[in-house]
Amino acid sequence: MVDYDADAIGAVARQVAGELGVSGDEEIRIEVDETSPLARWTIGAWGEGDEPIVLQVDGGAFEDTRRPRQFDERRTADVVGRLLLRVLDRRTPAFAGAPAEDELTLAQGVAWDVYAVGRLVRMGHEGQRQRRLYQFRNRHGFSDATDEAFDQIWNASQLTWAELDAISAGAMARSVFEPDG
Amino acid sequence: MRKIFPADLLARDERFIRQTQEARLADPRGRTGNAANQTKLTPEARNAPDRARALMHGIFVGEVQALEGAGRTCFDFEVGSGRDDVPFEMKMDMARQCWDEARHCEISVKLSDHMGTELGEFVENTTLYEAACNRDPVLRLTGVNRALEGLAIDVFNTMREFGRMAGDPVLEFCEDWMLADEVTHVKMGSDWLRRMTEGDAERLDRALEFQRVVDKVFSFNGFRGEDDDSPIQLTRRFREMAGFTPAEINDIAEMSRESRAEAVPG
Repeated sequence: MVDYDADAIGAVARQVAGELGVSGDEEIRIEVDETSPLARWTIGAWGEGDEPIVLQVDGGAFEDTRRPRQFDERRTADVVGRLLLRVLDRRTPAFAGAPAEDELTLAQGVAWDVYAVGRLVRMGHEGQRQRRLYQFRNRHGFSDATDEAFDQIWNASQLTWAELDAISAGAMARSVFEPDG
Repeated sequence: MRKIFPADLLARDERFIRQTQEARLADPRGRTGNAANQTKLTPEARNAPDRARALMHGIFVGEVQALEGAGRTCFDFEVGSGRDDVPFEMKMDMARQCWDEARHCEISVKLSDHMGTELGEFVENTTLYEAACNRDPVLRLTGVNRALEGLAIDVFNTMREFGRMAGDPVLEFCEDWMLADEVTHVKMGSDWLRRMTEGDAERLDRALEFQRVVDKVFSFNGFRGEDDDSPIQLTRRFREMAGFTPAEINDIAEMSRESRAEAVPG
């Protein structure tokens, strides 16, 4: 279906995991659905106890958007980095109050992504800041208040879940343009 | 200057990478039903902003090719009354369309900036321009101004709706203005088809058949249709304003349903 190489995916994952401080002993399993050109993802397991961290992604999430069915190292690093940061965040007491993945609202999910990508950018990864801002605006409203909240999250390194959620909720409350959805 | 300019020689810089229609159709993932499972573009979907970005990039390269196509139509045919000639007034309409398409390119670039998309971030398919290479001016006009610009009406209306629902005033405003131009372009196609085939039923039939072929190509997986979950919504009201008959719109809707049924396994 796609021209991906498991070793190449593993190399990117190892590199990013190392940068994020994931122990080299910890097993990370990445399951790619090659039949799907979409870019959905789920975290199948959080690496608690003896279980590995399991990331389940559609093949489109690792795909080069300019060369269909070809592997894109940069996008893969972005996706794996974001997901691993979410796993690491959840392991800390600061994120103990975060809802389960399937209970996160779209706004909360995007805010968390922005928090993760902002940190990845400061580690030297590409982040497509404007793309993330567009996603954030779609979920919080197109307003100056939203942009201020985005900057606050993007530039943060030590947020708790309560702080992240409060910034997100505050942006939605202050937004002039309320999304219909 | 060369006439009937081939698609593979179109000028692009290193940012742009092309995919042929053959390669697109050969992608086995398109036959698994995943593409057809894409739902209507609404803000509720988790991937909606990225889907909108990809669609906007498709609009951008479509505008570039529409500009190239309308420009070629101004140049490729001589003014006259012969079968291979075109009326001067038709060239004037194509020149006016070039002006519109150039403006649409500029708007699309700014919208791409707004949405965080780099030019060339997504693959380019040149099928639109290829339809603008037909040697018969009537077929070319029908394929481009009725089939493809008709699709543009559906796409712009869908994007305008997405912008409205998401509360994005920039996207909604820009799409609304471009949509108005597209209705004019399709109306031009409808008017010139009628005038240039007056008293020539055989040529009219061939032109409409070519339009159906182009519509079929762009009904890939039935992504444009009238079902509630069609990613691109077929827009009856604006198509009727642009000279489509209800029966013609019904044909396109049926073609889309057939394509969708073929795409989704058993």
